[in-house]
Amino acid sequence: MIEINNVEKRFGSAEVLKRINLKVEPGEVVTILGSSGSGKSTLIRCINGLEALSGGAIRVDGHDVSTSAGLAAARRRSATVFQLFNLYPHMTVLRNVTLAPIQVLGQPRAEAEAQARALIDLVGLTEHADAYPQRLSGGQRQRVGICRALAMQPRYLLLDEVTSALDPEMTGEVLAILARLAAEGTTMVFVTHEIEFARRISDRIVFLEAGELIVDMPTEAFFSEEGGLAVPRIRKFLSKMTKD
Amino acid sequence: MRYADFTPYDLVLLAQGLGVTLGLFAATTLIGLALGAALTVLHYYRVPVIGHVVVAVTELLKNSPVLVQLFLVFFGMPAFFQVNMTPVTAALLTVSLNTAAFAFVIFRSGVEAVERDQIEAARVFGHSRWQILRRIISPQAAAFSVGPLIGLLVNQLQVTSLISVIGVADLTKIGNILNLRTLEPFVVWSVIGLTYYLCAKALAALGGRLERHLRRSVVWQGL
Amino acid sequence: MIRSWNALEPHLGFLLEGFALTVAACVLAVAGAVVLGALIASLRTARSRAARTVAAVYCDLFRNVPFIVQLFFFFYGLPELGIYIGAFETGVLAMSIAGGAFVADVIRAGILSIEQGVIEAARVFGLSRWQIFSRIVMPNALRVSVRPMGSVLINLVLTSSILSTITVNELTGTAKIVAATTFMPFEVYAVLLVLYAALTYTLSLAVTGVHRRLNRGMPEAVA
Ligand SMILES: Nc1ncnc2c1ncn2[C@@H]1O[C@H](COP(=O)(O)OP(=O)(O)O)[C@@H](O)[C@H]1O
Ligand SMILES: [Mg+2]
Repeated sequence: MIEINNVEKRFGSAEVLKRINLKVEPGEVVTILGSSGSGKSTLIRCINGLEALSGGAIRVDGHDVSTSAGLAAARRRSATVFQLFNLYPHMTVLRNVTLAPIQVLGQPRAEAEAQARALIDLVGLTEHADAYPQRLSGGQRQRVGICRALAMQPRYLLLDEVTSALDPEMTGEVLAILARLAAEGTTMVFVTHEIEFARRISDRIVFLEAGELIVDMPTEAFFSEEGGLAVPRIRKFLSKMTKD
Repeated sequence: MRYADFTPYDLVLLAQGLGVTLGLFAATTLIGLALGAALTVLHYYRVPVIGHVVVAVTELLKNSPVLVQLFLVFFGMPAFFQVNMTPVTAALLTVSLNTAAFAFVIFRSGVEAVERDQIEAARVFGHSRWQILRRIISPQAAAFSVGPLIGLLVNQLQVTSLISVIGVADLTKIGNILNLRTLEPFVVWSVIGLTYYLCAKALAALGGRLERHLRRSVVWQGL
Repeated sequence: MIRSWNALEPHLGFLLEGFALTVAACVLAVAGAVVLGALIASLRTARSRAARTVAAVYCDLFRNVPFIVQLFFFFYGLPELGIYIGAFETGVLAMSIAGGAFVADVIRAGILSIEQGVIEAARVFGLSRWQIFSRIVMPNALRVSVRPMGSVLINLVLTSSILSTITVNELTGTAKIVAATTFMPFEVYAVLLVLYAALTYTLSLAVTGVHRRLNRGMPEAVA
């Protein structure tokens, strides 16, 4: 379980996250919505330890991410997929995927490579296993990013706007894979602007507004007239997002 | 007595050596930059054959050791052409040519950078090639070139140290003399090295100020 | 010129020995410079302020003092410390140290050019600081540094001629002897000039090759 308790984050005097509380149970898909600058990325970066908390605590399966031992344990349980892929440019697709399993989990190379090839097959990149990332399209790169995360056999997958840098066709490629993962019961914390997709795969939706978590509801309730749509701010956000 | 201690007179020697180094540096810089600019003009006019020869010779000078160039001029030229050659003449000739070769490359890329952008426009107004070079290209190419030129000159200051090998009494040669006399290599070479270091820093600082000044004036004048 | 070649012929073997020594010195110094440069570059980008300062001073100092002065410092100074190594070894040491300062600057630029997001990814995946440095940062830095490092190394080859001033009979050293014995300094040094140019040209081709190899699959703009 990911437990986020009263988390605060300040950059200088700017309060970017204000007393956030959120629990993600194993098997759940939780989507974080919110307009740009509302603090979604910062929240993800607090969970994976890229930002130090200004207050509160985050535990991943009981491991406190603000201690170094806890963070190391938390990072083995979760894996992140980035908006701009952040693949290792000097490594082939295969080596991108096997680096952490070999270096961090201590998997034997042969085993790591077999597993990586299976994942690469799964996302339809079989022929590109030995290519360098720069040779791939954005959609292909993001599929590598997903493989790299899955190779860690994470309990929790953190996804921060993983299709925002992609055109619609490539977005489709990537979302198809995520839908399959969700159906298989992968736990996900999912930041996205793909409202329709979120509605289809999420168990719960939370809404961030200027660093505050103002709504946390089951998906169906969130999109109902008496639930999320009753909140003017959310209604406005949804109508804007679905218009374009 | 085998060792001879330092004397106050050594400071005079040092100052003389520094004077020779700086004098030779100044002279070769002036000659080298002028020659480099002249070669750039020649190249700009696409004079047949000469343009290629200039490029070939400058490449050769850039890609061979200055020490060997010095030997060729100082030992080789008198033997082959039956001319007189003093160490100072050889040093002046070699370092100037070397500076010119590098300056040519810097100026040329400056000219080419400007040319690509603006020649078309100027041609349309019927300017001659000389007018274009004089009024449009040179000021901007000069501005482009200042940064790399400062780097070049800081480097060429160090290159002058090689003339000590053919017997010019520059700073390094004075170092040799003091080193042999006092047998205090650490002191001697630290002092010599520090002197060069300070000169290089002063030169770089001066160049930096000049560059900022030129940038500003180029911005002010526009075209 | 025909006469010249015939007169030079008996000395070709000797010159070849000198050439071999030049190659040996350069190979060793290049290895030394790259290792040292990578180390200094790591220090320059380290978290410790003291480490960064030491490394910056190192680069500044060895880049701004003429190589020949550094060489004399070691050649005459090391025996004072009770360190007796041969002239060749001293030369390789000095070249490695001076070259290391230039290589460090190049690698440092490579380190700073790595995208922050890539490093964040490695952190999130649980790689240790050392793993990130050795598996991500350094390989990437080296990959983008090849071309500028190539020109540093070519300069190192040209610099190797200065070893002749401390009695190392590398290519320039042997040529000096041949020039004196044949009384044909012009021909000898002219040939030498061309030889060095050929050597550096070959090296630049090799650098381009390595660059291509290390940047397979990279679009040119990135590389
Ligand atoms: N490193 C940082 N330093 C200062 N401000 C930051 C930093 N990162 C994010 N912010 C600010 O925090 C706010 C939330 O940013 P972010 O979490 O990226 O929002 P979102 O992902 O929802 O668009 C923004 O106002 C942003 O400018
Ligand atoms: Mg964001």
